[in-house]
Amino acid sequence: MTTVLLGPQRFRQTAGTVADALAPDGPVATVTAGWRDREKDDAELHEVMGGRARNLHLFTRLGHVVRHDPTFAAAASVYNRSIDEANKLYKVRLSHAMDAVYTILRRTARQDLIDSALRAGVQSVQDIDAWYVWLTAELEDELRSVGQVDSSDVIAGHRGEVAEILDSSALLAIAGGHVSFLMRCLRLFEAFPSPDLPVVGWSAGAMVLTDHIVLYHDKGPAGVQPAEVWDRGLGRVPRVIAMPHARRRLALDDVHRNLVLAHRFAPARVLLLDDGMQVRIGDDGSLPAEARVVTAEGTIATIEDEASASEDCAS
Amino acid sequence: MRKLAINRLLERAVDQERATRFVTRHGSPIVEGDRATFLWVGEADEVLLRHRVQGLPEPLTMRRIPHTTLWYVSIDMPKESRVEYQFEIVRGGMRESYVNDPLNPRLAHGPFGASSVCAATGYEVPAWTLPDPESRPGELVPAELQSKALRRTVRFSVYVPARFIPLVHYPLLVVHDGDDYLNYASMKTVLDNLIHRGEIADLIVAFVPPGNRLVEYANNAPHARFVARELVPHLSETYPLLGTPSGRTLMGSSFGGIASISTAVRYPDVFGNLLLQSASLVFTDIAFDHGGGAVFDPVVKFVNAYRARPRRVADRIYQSCGMYEPLITPNRSMATVFREAGMEVRYREHRDGHNWENWRDRLREGLTWLHPGEQRFVYE
Repeated sequence: MTTVLLGPQRFRQTAGTVADALAPDGPVATVTAGWRDREKDDAELHEVMGGRARNLHLFTRLGHVVRHDPTFAAAASVYNRSIDEANKLYKVRLSHAMDAVYTILRRTARQDLIDSALRAGVQSVQDIDAWYVWLTAELEDELRSVGQVDSSDVIAGHRGEVAEILDSSALLAIAGGHVSFLMRCLRLFEAFPSPDLPVVGWSAGAMVLTDHIVLYHDKGPAGVQPAEVWDRGLGRVPRVIAMPHARRRLALDDVHRNLVLAHRFAPARVLLLDDGMQVRIGDDGSLPAEARVVTAEGTIATIEDEASASEDCAS
Repeated sequence: MRKLAINRLLERAVDQERATRFVTRHGSPIVEGDRATFLWVGEADEVLLRHRVQGLPEPLTMRRIPHTTLWYVSIDMPKESRVEYQFEIVRGGMRESYVNDPLNPRLAHGPFGASSVCAATGYEVPAWTLPDPESRPGELVPAELQSKALRRTVRFSVYVPARFIPLVHYPLLVVHDGDDYLNYASMKTVLDNLIHRGEIADLIVAFVPPGNRLVEYANNAPHARFVARELVPHLSETYPLLGTPSGRTLMGSSFGGIASISTAVRYPDVFGNLLLQSASLVFTDIAFDHGGGAVFDPVVKFVNAYRARPRRVADRIYQSCGMYEPLITPNRSMATVFREAGMEVRYREHRDGHNWENWRDRLREGLTWLHPGEQRFVYE
């Protein structure tokens, strides 16, 4: 199973080179659903892919389904509202639990007591994350059954066309953009690449390939906010939380925040994907030596440097 | 630290020619570090600076430099603060009030006219309040509603975001003093920019001007009934709205803030969010004189009653107030009361006064907190 995760492509384009290396010949199935209404403005991507791109047009297909399948449209509307409400409830729980963790981190007390409170605090956050993932999966199941997703002729038609393109492609390339629309389109049309099909994804396209999609923006107008689990991903890259635009969006100089981030998502690794980053996932799902991650100590290091530091500590 | 320009001027004898050169060189006000010096030139018996800054003597008497027509006064001007001011000129027993600074081109506008602006070191007009050609403009749709509650036709404007799709359900924001927010707080430009940047959600926004403002906004039952039982249902029939309290926000500044909170108190099931800017939350405790005059009587009665029996009337409140306003103390106090009543409160203070540019500058923080946009979802 060949999978490569890339950093943002806006300033340093590497997707074309990687695509050539992974699949020198044959069509490249592309997904630009994250671009939403600009999905079809993909001439530049087509060029980057050496004129081999075949866009799955998942966002356009979603629009078609909403217009032609009223059962699905009604269920999707309810689903969107429910997800919005569930997310608000999740954030209430999450912000209180995260506040507790940071308050404990700032407290002065016997170290073993602090450590114990921290472990319990992080566990609470993990429980809330897990609850939210469960809740969204329940709502997803509700959408599938009420919206008759698996018996809709309209959806089935699109799924068939998508599968046909994927089956005849040498590579799947998933561009970034709006990660929620992107994931929902992939799921609705079952654009799930087979293990044999090489895949490259960048920014949001990398996020959807992991187990869980985590949103974050410490430098937004509302200031530093807790990272939030949003949805399940395709799970092709297990035990990794992909964080593109890390320098632009994360307060990486805050060791306490980094530390909590690393422990909260453990055993998954928090992988930082900045401009120019290229991470080839091993067959066993492992990260390469040069991948940059947030360490358990709250620092930023490559896998290689982290391993060396651990050895130094051990000796 | 270097002496202030005005003190350097005064180190040597000053004649009219030197004073004129000084004014030409520096203009007014002169902002140096944490101090600002205001200048006025002309014949007068007395020149006063009106600034509306809580804590400073109001007005400040300006000093005349002997043998010249140059008047000055210096005040502390903390970093990033913003003060609106005017002069009052006394000549031969006649008083000329509300005079803007002729040496200062920077004006702020409001429903009662313009005022001169002194911006301290570090203050910049936020870029998101200025027109951005990249931002796709939403549309302002004129609307009207025959109100049984108010017994008049209410004319208002509805902002429809640029990417409006009838299939999507939108949050609703109802704005008191709607015309003033559009005219003096650049709110359409702000919405266009923040939506374009993905910082706030696509919103449907009703900009509603008042009739008799001091009556309708001062805890007025017909006004509350109009907003909750006429306007919101009308908008819900006209536009695809989320239709839940968490998808509805009511906002206003000054008396508009009282109109917002008092409507929420009367109809606690309608608005999940309140955005209160410098709300006139004046109250009394053991004293009777609230100092606001007769128009504040119903406001004080309302706030006193709420303080006696605080209750949850919304999920979340974004509340802001300028540090230089007389309303700062009641706002600080009420933030705690709202919080203890079980509401999630984000209270913010800024170095500014009771004016529209302060309220404009706070829109981003309030709206992004109450209705965050898609920025957190977008990883290009």
